[in-house]
Amino acid sequence: MLALILILVSAVYFPGVIVKTKAIFSGRKGPGILQPWYDIFRLLKKGSVYSTSSSFVFQIGAPIYLATVIVAALFIPFEENNSIISFSGDFVLFAYLLGLGRFMIIVSALDVSSGFEGMGANREAFYSMLMEPAFFILLGSLAMFTGYTSFHDIFANLHYNSYFSFIIAVIAGYVLANITLVETSRLPVDDPLTHLELTMVHEVMVLDHSGFDLGIIKIANNLKFILFSTLSANCLIPQSMELWVRVSVFLIMQVFFAAGIGWLESFRARNKMAMNAQYILSINAVALILIFVAMIIKNKI
Amino acid sequence: MMVILFKIALLLSFGMFFVPKKFKYILGLVLHLVLLVSSTSWAWYVLNNSTLTIDLGITTWSGPIKLVIDPLSAYFMLIINLICFCGMLYASGYLKPYLPKKRSVFISLHLFSFLWLHGAMLLVVSMQDGIAFLLAWELMSLFSFILVIFEAQKESTLKTGINYLLQMHLGFALIMLGFLIAANQTGELSFAGVNKFFSLSSNTPLFLVFFAGFGIKAGFIPFHSWLPRAHPAAPSHVSGVMSGVMIKMGIYGIFRVSSLLQQDLQSIGIIVLTAGIVSGLLGVIMAIMQHDLKKLLAYHSIENIGIIGIGIGVGILGKANGETYLMILGWGGALLHTLNHALFKSLLFFTAGNVFYATHKINMDHLGGLAKNMRYTSGAFLIGALAISGIPPFNGFISEFLIYNGIINHMSDSAFTSSIFSVVSILSLVLIGGLCIYCFTKAFGLSFLGTRRAEHSAPVVEVPAIMLVPAFILILCMLAIGLAPVFFVNQVVIVLQNLTQTSLTIEPLLYSLRSISHVNIALIIVIITIAGLRAWQQSLVKVAKGPTWGCGYTAGDFRHQYTPTSYADSLRELTDPLIEYHRDYKSFEESEIFPPPKSFHTENKDLVEEKTILSWVHLIVNHLPKAGIAQSGLINHYLIYPMLFLMLIGFLIIINVL
Repeated sequence: MLALILILVSAVYFPGVIVKTKAIFSGRKGPGILQPWYDIFRLLKKGSVYSTSSSFVFQIGAPIYLATVIVAALFIPFEENNSIISFSGDFVLFAYLLGLGRFMIIVSALDVSSGFEGMGANREAFYSMLMEPAFFILLGSLAMFTGYTSFHDIFANLHYNSYFSFIIAVIAGYVLANITLVETSRLPVDDPLTHLELTMVHEVMVLDHSGFDLGIIKIANNLKFILFSTLSANCLIPQSMELWVRVSVFLIMQVFFAAGIGWLESFRARNKMAMNAQYILSINAVALILIFVAMIIKNKI
Repeated sequence: MMVILFKIALLLSFGMFFVPKKFKYILGLVLHLVLLVSSTSWAWYVLNNSTLTIDLGITTWSGPIKLVIDPLSAYFMLIINLICFCGMLYASGYLKPYLPKKRSVFISLHLFSFLWLHGAMLLVVSMQDGIAFLLAWELMSLFSFILVIFEAQKESTLKTGINYLLQMHLGFALIMLGFLIAANQTGELSFAGVNKFFSLSSNTPLFLVFFAGFGIKAGFIPFHSWLPRAHPAAPSHVSGVMSGVMIKMGIYGIFRVSSLLQQDLQSIGIIVLTAGIVSGLLGVIMAIMQHDLKKLLAYHSIENIGIIGIGIGVGILGKANGETYLMILGWGGALLHTLNHALFKSLLFFTAGNVFYATHKINMDHLGGLAKNMRYTSGAFLIGALAISGIPPFNGFISEFLIYNGIINHMSDSAFTSSIFSVVSILSLVLIGGLCIYCFTKAFGLSFLGTRRAEHSAPVVEVPAIMLVPAFILILCMLAIGLAPVFFVNQVVIVLQNLTQTSLTIEPLLYSLRSISHVNIALIIVIITIAGLRAWQQSLVKVAKGPTWGCGYTAGDFRHQYTPTSYADSLRELTDPLIEYHRDYKSFEESEIFPPPKSFHTENKDLVEEKTILSWVHLIVNHLPKAGIAQSGLINHYLIYPMLFLMLIGFLIIINVL
């Protein structure tokens, strides 16, 4: 339950911090921290325009996308504090739940018969297909290292084993941070602020969503962001501290994470589209290194 | 009582040729129902009690033919019955346009073969005796051949059918060889003989013979080349049944044989696992490249057989290392996936059949926009697509979860090589899952969504209700497995308990499965809540319809949509060495002031088939004409040949060879 509360609390300021950081780096004052949420609430109140070529699939796509992210949030633990749902192999269900949301958002993009949105849909399907193995290798090696197979047990035991766990935790945190960037379509894979449809991934898929649908898609994106950043925070925060210290470290860490993304997006150019596959495969390679490190630590090699 | 009913049904099937055309279907349906009721009652009894032996009262030279139904047979019987019944229901609608066109005898032959395919499959899973098993196997191949060539007036269909028949007989020969090798040493031509053989001598060679024989039926790569040809050629109810259950007879055989294994388990497990991984990955990559909807589904059967193969391989490895939990999860996952694949693959073939019925087109380049006219068909296809991608809350997830869970649990306390195999299997399962989403967003998105890509001669309308009933039944079963997995996994464990003769505990697994069903229910509730909120919000505000946002370009039309080729293009670049890709296109020359119409054509060849089968065939075909020298047409030459032959015989006798 604590994890869910922390996720919701950090969700309040997370998107705002990114926007604010980018504004500051570009020499502007920037909007208030809560502005992204005001925008979303305004969208939720608006009317919608549906494409004439869209069918019922377009209507159900966005609600299912949000629902999967909400249900996936129930899986995330905060270290030894229980998540709401936890069982052996729960991360498989977590990944496949996000898969359902992705599937629906891809087919609703294909439903409006626009070449641009087809492009975004195709890229989303392709990149997430390449990204998925990294997530599973990561969790697989953590499972191998700790001997447990659920999010909660893995993170509760990650820091008890030995000093080696620090190596594992750092690599895992790095891989998870990269997965976050790909899953939520941020730089360097996708630039959410680019204004050229040919070079977008996620934003171009939702060009035809408007009003309520666009609002819930934005909510889902923000939540998804927090889910993954909470996972990486789980890897990095040591458990020896008091609970209140850890909670505050977590909340500050989220600020830093958001600010880091803002910093990255201010100073880094987007990858060439053709290089994205290579970039994602390199994350997979780092994840593979992780599994070998885990094997060495467990005296298997 | 049930035996008599069963036999009467098979006998009465000959009546199909004598009843008037309009009653043929009804007779067929009634006979199917009789088969279904009798065999289901046996299977139900077996699953709740113990193995059942039924004397059919027919004696061959090797003794009386007995049906021996153990839980494994019962499990497969139930799958066969469900899918065949749905197929028969579906056929009533699908065959209707053919009834006036086809001659009465062809219709009877078709329905007769369909019934006998059902019967033969029931016999295959319940025969322990070698001769009877091979007989049933042969019946199954023959009747499915007749079903495939339903539209034999097309030359391509007939050719495909003959290709199919030949490949099936290659498989038959290998299975027979396997039985004969075992019988040669033990004197028993039966599965019991195979069991004895396994306890006496090296297991790997004989297992490989059986694996190749059954693998041709199941469609493991490189034995798969009949699948992507036969499924598109056959009518949809037949492809649904063939892909749903008939290829599973190969899986049944592999299960039966691998449960008898006693030595060399480690190496055999690795072989099966590798075959599964290769089939799974190549199958789905080839599927993505297809334009033909039914061919795409056929390649997906190969992929799913691959997943089942991974499960079986993991199970054998578990047995090899004495880890019963891993064995249950591997084999249990494979068995459950067999059922799951039967459900969603026949659903997908039936809905693809609906598309063909309504539009007379099956190439995705010509489809699109069907979701507006065929709501139910596209909804059913969407559910099938989600389920086959292993997405919750549907059934595909449950079986994949079992396999995942087995491998992940196994990873932390296994040795180095074993861990490597675990990592590779997880990687390939994940990749298969991701590619599957890629493929089915393509299949569903391009055929059902967007705008129509080609002119249709008549307006597209939804198919008659009777063709949607089987889809509805199948979806109910799929949801049941997704929402109440514990019941189905328990049945699978009963089967495994009997098969391995050990008592198995799966308490931790049941806890996970219960949690999954809770999550699935929660997911459905959350979706309904959000959809309700959305409906409420939409009732308050202005909702309008407008053209698709064209980014400033206002003349967009259907040709700007993604096509099967362009959707697959990003993957093609990555997997280029694995697929042979041909592109026919001449670009515009500078000198062409008034260019003629240009065409663009892409085609993919199956590289495995090209390299493993066709290259040899071409070699032989190229060299055979040289043998034509012997056929000179001169009678004196032909008289020399017997002389030479006799001299050869004489020579062999002299040197004591004969």
